[in-house]
Amino acid sequence: MITEALQQVLNGLAIGSVYTLIAVGLTIVFGILGIAHFAHGSAAMSGGYLTFILTERLGLGFFPAMAVALIAGAALGVVLERLAYRPVRDAPQINAFIIALGLTMILEGGNLLLFGPDQVVIPTPYQHVYTVGGLVVAELRIQVMLTASLAVAAMATFVSRTRAGRSIRAVAQNRQAAVLMGVNADAVATMVFALSSALGVIGGALVGALLAIAPGVGEGLVVKGFAVLILGGLGSIPGAIVGGLVLGVSEALAAGFISSAYKDVIAFLVMIGVLLVRPEGLLGKR
Amino acid sequence: MSRALRVGIGTAVAIAALALPHALTVPYFLHLTILACIWTVLAQGQNLVQGFSGYVSIAAGGFMAIGAYASALLSVKAGWPVWTSMALAPFVAAAFALVVGYPSLRVKGHYFAIVTLAYNLVIVTVLNNYESFTGGEAGMPNIQRPAALVLGGLQLSFAGREGYYYLVLLAAAAATAGGALVLHSRVGRVLIAIRQNEMVVDALGVAAWRYKLFAFVASGFLAGLAGALYAHFIGFLNPEPFGTDQSMNAILAVTLGGSGTLLGPIVGAFLVVTLPEYLRVADTYRLVAYGLLLVLATIFMPRGIVPMVSRGFQGMATRLAAALRPRPDPTP
Repeated sequence: MITEALQQVLNGLAIGSVYTLIAVGLTIVFGILGIAHFAHGSAAMSGGYLTFILTERLGLGFFPAMAVALIAGAALGVVLERLAYRPVRDAPQINAFIIALGLTMILEGGNLLLFGPDQVVIPTPYQHVYTVGGLVVAELRIQVMLTASLAVAAMATFVSRTRAGRSIRAVAQNRQAAVLMGVNADAVATMVFALSSALGVIGGALVGALLAIAPGVGEGLVVKGFAVLILGGLGSIPGAIVGGLVLGVSEALAAGFISSAYKDVIAFLVMIGVLLVRPEGLLGKR
Repeated sequence: MSRALRVGIGTAVAIAALALPHALTVPYFLHLTILACIWTVLAQGQNLVQGFSGYVSIAAGGFMAIGAYASALLSVKAGWPVWTSMALAPFVAAAFALVVGYPSLRVKGHYFAIVTLAYNLVIVTVLNNYESFTGGEAGMPNIQRPAALVLGGLQLSFAGREGYYYLVLLAAAAATAGGALVLHSRVGRVLIAIRQNEMVVDALGVAAWRYKLFAFVASGFLAGLAGALYAHFIGFLNPEPFGTDQSMNAILAVTLGGSGTLLGPIVGAFLVVTLPEYLRVADTYRLVAYGLLLVLATIFMPRGIVPMVSRGFQGMATRLAAALRPRPDPTP
């Protein structure tokens, strides 16, 4: 019983770290630019597909392929921000949200045209399985958790330690004051979308390695990402980390002990419950 | 626009709508018009929440599913008369909206949007997995059309497309009339005040949550009605058409047509039903084209079609009046 629970927690942490990656990307866009970037999941899937093509067709290793896809994904994010979100920056928030829905359709349609309707799994060399005290630990899951932690840590370091990161934080705190102090808010928007999409692509590639990529997976992922945001508090990076892991673990426990068909329902009920008790999220500011 | 002109245009539209089945020679067009009328009911409900009070709900598809399944289950499994089940279905959906709306309206803005999205996902997941009750993904066949009515010796049949068209037309007109009633009442004014500044509404001692809850429940009611009409028109139900895509379609209908206007949801509903059909010519590029259209429309006409067109008309009328006015003689 306890071993099984620990096993589910371990599995939950692996998928939870992917949720965290997606959610951190969403939360920086939301917290700094106030945009609910619904197309994030589909953009992440484009990156996942690209990683698949690069490993499968060109024979690149998993991480080199992901690095290439990451750069392409960052470029895609910049293009989306520049062409679609920036024109509605001063319009009511709902307009940016509708734009996000439109972008989701474009990206989902684009993925379908470019990569076809088949489900793909990105091949990785990390197929070992270790047994530690009755727990089954797959090497791939460890790699997923490590990669996700590294990516989030790198992003956090960039934001907290560099000059560019400081300008991002300034815009997040007070956009007008930041602009008056000579911060280029447009450049910050570009940077935020590049960072967010890069993290999303890592998430997409990890999902592709851990589970599979198929049409519609991106939309499911972005909804989970938003659920994490609500759990952790909109705009909070520590909240996204904790929320992602909480969602992953509660989903895994629900799948293991209650019903795997209803695991999403249980995950969302957890989210709704948290929202009702603490509307500002687990780690959000009141 | 003068009152006489409005009445004239209204009458013309009404006559055109009533004569439509005789004018449309292709049955498929009538099929689409029926769907557009059903979507009008859905969009008018969405407009109550999104257009009036400014809260974006992403649960329209889910409530539509509840109405559709309630009516289908009551008539197919419980053997109730179709009219009874169709009349009850909106109340079932409204009851659900009441139960989920009360807690979720405590949060605002994007939080509210995401919570309603989660409700939609929960509803679809349950419908997909509770197979003994709903038939799951394989669906529920053989949902009957409502029985014929005899009114003063006149037999009204709803078995064919034409008869059903008049039923959904009536529903769409009633939903629009309901929207007008709300808009021009105290409730509507409070809802619009909430959209403009909810804090002021609260500060004035008006219990904003009651009005928001009313709008949310009413939108659930209309979505349920749309669902019931859909179920008995198509005759087959599975959870697929009620996903978040459908809720987004409702949002699009309201936004494209003109959020907060009465005609906007009608125009929007016809657009979201017919546009994908037109784009079917380029089937592989359909999703991309639809998305692109949406992005461009939001950037270049953010207020929607109806306000843009009516402003265009007003501008033309002003210019026309100015041109017709005799100019004062410039020479002293």
